[in-house]
Amino acid sequence: MDRKTLARTVREAAMVAGASALLALAANAVRPSGLPLLARAPYETLVPCPEPGGPVLGLEPDDPVVASPRSFLVDARSAGEYGARHLPAAVNVPFDWLDPLPEEQLRELARAIAASRATRVVVYGDGGHPDSGEFLGREISGRGIKYVHFVRGGAPAVLAGGR
Amino acid sequence: MVAARVTAWLAVAARWYLGVLFVGACLHKIADPRSFAVDVATYDILPLALVNVTAIVLPWVELAAGGMLLIGWRTRPAALLVFGMVLVFITALVIALARGLDMSCGCFASQGAEEDPISRLTVLRDLGWLALAGFVLACDRGLVGIDGLIERRKTR
Repeated sequence: MDRKTLARTVREAAMVAGASALLALAANAVRPSGLPLLARAPYETLVPCPEPGGPVLGLEPDDPVVASPRSFLVDARSAGEYGARHLPAAVNVPFDWLDPLPEEQLRELARAIAASRATRVVVYGDGGHPDSGEFLGREISGRGIKYVHFVRGGAPAVLAGGR
Repeated sequence: MVAARVTAWLAVAARWYLGVLFVGACLHKIADPRSFAVDVATYDILPLALVNVTAIVLPWVELAAGGMLLIGWRTRPAALLVFGMVLVFITALVIALARGLDMSCGCFASQGAEEDPISRLTVLRDLGWLALAGFVLACDRGLVGIDGLIERRKTR
């Protein structure tokens, strides 16, 4: 395509786009359901966030791995529930459904795991549906910490064993 | 000679395919600009002030370009418009994918992200359309269409 043809093509395309735009605005102005040219309020787009997290393995509450000294225990319940009763050596990381794992808390957790020389992380939560322990486990796993497990049935199941 | 003829007919096929595609894609947007405005806003690229204008104008440009490709009138400008629009769509898709947005592309009838989620395949599909538009732009010789009729009448 020579330069003259290209210039003519671009000019004609711009004219078609301009004419289409005028027609569109005119059609919008006369139709009863036409849109205002300026949106009055932001649209509620409701884009779900990508499913966060990485792989987690479920453990039964009586699995010896739960009580193993090589497991780094995380209690995902609220500070109050944790204070009332928790597994010995469990660290409290309350799971917040709106802000699952703030960056600062993740860094603290990663430091604590490294210092403990544990070979795996075991998380237990409220045992509900959905289970906060499983979701916190996924969050921890999704942020690059390996070998994360959660306890099926959460704290009610794991504490019922008399630990 | 034969190769040129084959290329010209392939350009006609590509032109018709893109024409049907763009006319088909714009109809629901013209009928329901509000839903299309939500689709445009979901990409979160344009400022709010431009969302409605884009939702109003873009489908009519698609209609004009698609219709012109179908009837073979001013084929090159129409192919250039399609090329430009697809380029914009690809850019928007890549930005949305890079941001991790889980959404529908809004290309055809407005659907939820679950029925028609954007993915790398959506980008590949659009790249295919971009290539076809480029092919029409470069190779269309006015076979079967108003441009060809006008050209033949001039040469008589």
